[in-house]
Amino acid sequence: MYRLALNMLFGDRAKLAMLLCGLAFSALLMAQQTSVFFGIMSWTYTPVHNIRARIWVSDPMVEQANDAKPLRDTDLYRVRSVDGVAWAAPLHTSFVQARMQDGNFKLITLIGLDADTFAGAPATLSAGRIEDLRLPNTVIVDEWGAQLMGRPVVGPDGKETTVPLKVGDTFEVNDLEARIVGICKVRRAFTGGPFVYTTYDRTKQYTLGARRTLSFMLVEPQPGVDASALCDRIEADTGLKAWTSDTVIWDWSDRSLARNTFWWFWKNTGIPFSFGTAVALGLFVGIAVSGQTFYSFVLENLKYFAAIKAMGAGMGVIARMLLVQAFTAGLLGFGLGVGMAQAIGRAMIEKGMPPFVMFPQIFWATLALVLGISLVSAVIGIIKVSRVDAATVFRG
Amino acid sequence: MSALSAHSVAVRTRGIDMFFGDGETKVTALKQADFEANRGELVMLVGPSGCGKTTLLSVIAGTLTPQAGTVEVFGQRLDGLGQEELTAFRRKHLGFVFQSFNLIPTLSVLENVMVPLLIQGAAQSVAEAKARAILEKVGLMGREDGRPNALSGGQQQRVAIARALVHEPSLLICDEPTSALDKDTGAQIMQMVRDLSRSPDRCVVVVTHDHRIFRFADRIAEMEDGRIRRVVDDPSQLDATHL
Repeated sequence: MYRLALNMLFGDRAKLAMLLCGLAFSALLMAQQTSVFFGIMSWTYTPVHNIRARIWVSDPMVEQANDAKPLRDTDLYRVRSVDGVAWAAPLHTSFVQARMQDGNFKLITLIGLDADTFAGAPATLSAGRIEDLRLPNTVIVDEWGAQLMGRPVVGPDGKETTVPLKVGDTFEVNDLEARIVGICKVRRAFTGGPFVYTTYDRTKQYTLGARRTLSFMLVEPQPGVDASALCDRIEADTGLKAWTSDTVIWDWSDRSLARNTFWWFWKNTGIPFSFGTAVALGLFVGIAVSGQTFYSFVLENLKYFAAIKAMGAGMGVIARMLLVQAFTAGLLGFGLGVGMAQAIGRAMIEKGMPPFVMFPQIFWATLALVLGISLVSAVIGIIKVSRVDAATVFRG
Repeated sequence: MSALSAHSVAVRTRGIDMFFGDGETKVTALKQADFEANRGELVMLVGPSGCGKTTLLSVIAGTLTPQAGTVEVFGQRLDGLGQEELTAFRRKHLGFVFQSFNLIPTLSVLENVMVPLLIQGAAQSVAEAKARAILEKVGLMGREDGRPNALSGGQQQRVAIARALVHEPSLLICDEPTSALDKDTGAQIMQMVRDLSRSPDRCVVVVTHDHRIFRFADRIAEMEDGRIRRVVDDPSQLDATHL
């Protein structure tokens, strides 16, 4: 009977197309919006992703990775003295204004790295060398920042284009020259601004007036020392806050700086509500369109279901037929919708905007929701058919 | 469920009362309706609209349960059965031909004919073979892959008859089988029903308004106001203007 149920479904192509459109649109909206949401939210812990330290140490009042509270330089020695610490390096992060050659100002994220170890340096440079940061007044800019801070140029056709900054170009930070010696590839910041890397010592010049420039300490545990256990020890010995750098936001460990950052933004911004509304809309549209279409499909076939009942099919068989039809449409709609979401996502990834992160959990959650929509549709149909008296087949 | 009785009476109802609604809206459809049909017989139920023909047919088919009286089909009492048992009884022993054919338009002719066998749980290959065989009998081989809507009214009713008989039911229930057909096609269909039902293990009950097909009946039960008014062997004994 299930094969016949499928043939009944596929035989009505207009209804099937409408059903699939509803389900696919719903799956697309839910998967795409959720993936963009998690993509944007993944930018909130960009520093953790880019810096790649095993342990971060901060002021105890720090709540997330973008919230730097200055520490005393002597804290670095206290952390280095904790048993199990292989090494600890200073890190500076702050937002400062950069003055471009055309006189414009740009807000940049200034990152100061330890000049001896370059701990926390970008993994990939598309131009230049990290060691050149040891030269006077030098910086490394990320690719996105080089584009943002680029020079506007009017072409022969009169059109204005932006020429990205390159190695050798200069700008000013706090009236001091910053000469670019490298372009790096890093993940973009949640704020969308450029990352400018320099040495930790030079940040004292670029942030003149700030008494304390130590934002975080990057710590490497000794071989065989568990990062989480070392965090406990650092906190107990120094009174500072220590974080692990794992970026699995589903891990409920309270030690993860990335996870705490993610959930800080979740709780303190309207982003989840905004995207949640779009996802809920997708769900409601799916239920409304698919439920209505499937109900209309059942209504059109009601007299045939009544005839099948009269011929001796129990409600169990008919219910299973309707479930097979609804779930088949659900799976096809899910495939189409998630396929389209993936295609859109790939196009987005190539452009880098907006970010798109489809976790396996999003895939499975979308599948569950689409099948939920199918189940609701099937149940509505089953209720309708169960109320049909088999004797109605004799009434013309 | 017990095996069907070898008794010569195929269908027997006694003292059937059937009403719908209650209070001021109460409508009495059957009043002490007594009806009998024997094995190997084609019996027609006739009468004016609203006389209770379709209700009595539904009671015999086990799709309606009467408020009073007994229903016996091939020795099996239906009035004491629960819904699941009635469903199982219909599945195994009854075939249906409906007024509006009720062929599923999104299925092929072959698939439509296979439905009763698949409801019984037959394997796809077995159902397909039996469906092809019966389509051969009704002269529709070659059309089995087409959709019912591509067939004429007469051909559609032949498909419906094939579907009604494919699982070899004991009782064939026909509700106005010729009302949507012209005279000649209706006659062909009735001839086919009669030929296919000529078996000591089968009985056919036909509800009809169509006096042109009375001649195919072995007996005709005339209904009036929810009762069987009389049973005749010869259609000429009926007053056609009364029907």
